Amino acid sequence: MKNSTAYLIIVMVVISLASGLVLALTYNFTIPSINEIAAREQEQAILAVIPGATKYETYESAPFPMYKGIDDSGSIKGVAYVIEGGGFQGIIKIMVGIDMQNQALTGIKILSHSETPGLGARITEDWFQSQFAGKSINDAFVARQDVEAITGATISTKAVSRLLKESIPNVVEQYKTLGGGK
Amino acid sequence: MGATYEFYKGLWKENPVFRMVMGMCPTLAVTNAAINGVAMGLATAFVLVCSNIVVALIKTLIPSKVRIPAYVIIIATFVTIADLILAAYFPDIQKVLGLFIPLIVVNCVILARAEAFASKSNVRLSILDALGMGIGFTWALTLLGIIREILGMGSIFGISLFGEGYISWIIFILPPGAFLTLGLLIAFFNAFSKNKAEDSCCH
Repeated sequence: MKNSTAYLIIVMVVISLASGLVLALTYNFTIPSINEIAAREQEQAILAVIPGATKYETYESAPFPMYKGIDDSGSIKGVAYVIEGGGFQGIIKIMVGIDMQNQALTGIKILSHSETPGLGARITEDWFQSQFAGKSINDAFVARQDVEAITGATISTKAVSRLLKESIPNVVEQYKTLGGGK
Repeated sequence: MGATYEFYKGLWKENPVFRMVMGMCPTLAVTNAAINGVAMGLATAFVLVCSNIVVALIKTLIPSKVRIPAYVIIIATFVTIADLILAAYFPDIQKVLGLFIPLIVVNCVILARAEAFASKSNVRLSILDALGMGIGFTWALTLLGIIREILGMGSIFGISLFGEGYISWIIFILPPGAFLTLGLLIAFFNAFSKNKAEDSCCH
């Protein structure tokens, strides 16, 4: 009986159901905390790439995640948006801040990535991210020319530079369509 | 072959990395920094203990024909639980480890302990076996991570050792460094281990 096909199927179904049940319960139990952490990190990321902003609003009609950073007096300090694209071995997701008046980046923050730990993963280090603050949005964004590259991780450096270079014109365009600073 | 032996054997005599050369994928891939080695080792130990307990509990119910898929489901369940709990309550650790956690499912140390030990032993001995193997795996990965981080980045657990003037050997945090370090360590341990000849000829 123990080696009959029916018994094999029953055992596997029971194990799978038990596994699914345990995972569903764990998921339900942990998801509020996971969402809360994600929302907090999003707010921190937006405020970090727009210096001076104390709160943010979402551009609801933008085709990609786009936010405006506002300071205490209600004036707009800059625009933040999320761009994602291929890195060395996975998707790199970046929060970018732009000061539209001065046509300059105000900061970037790597939100998630799957680059090689110790090499490409160093795109999250401060010295790498902070070099983009203050750069004009019309710069070339070429690794080892106007962007300082990471040793052993040229592809990751190039990926970040390319994502920025390609996304900036779209955002400027969107910003105009959505009524600029209004 | 008492209960304490089941615990101690994983630390050295049957150490998964240095003596049995198992679980090479995470061993080689994640040990480019000491903290990664520690974290990967502990996460693996957690999954190892949980899966050994469950396998030892339900071993008589699982027909031998489907035991491997059954073990893989059990292991994958605990890996996902570990990932969710880390993400919800220890987001900082999860960020460091996030990429490696799914790798634990395919770590052959865990499947090997379920197959070779927990499926033939009681729960108490299975827990001791898993703890010994888990700690043995953790110290091996930590040692590899420490050596590679010192040579490759000039730091230990992220703390710089030699100052700005140190020219790091990038190769040690790249994949070839993993093979070099592991090969040299195994050669070193074999040279100082007296029963290597008997061990290797008869298995």
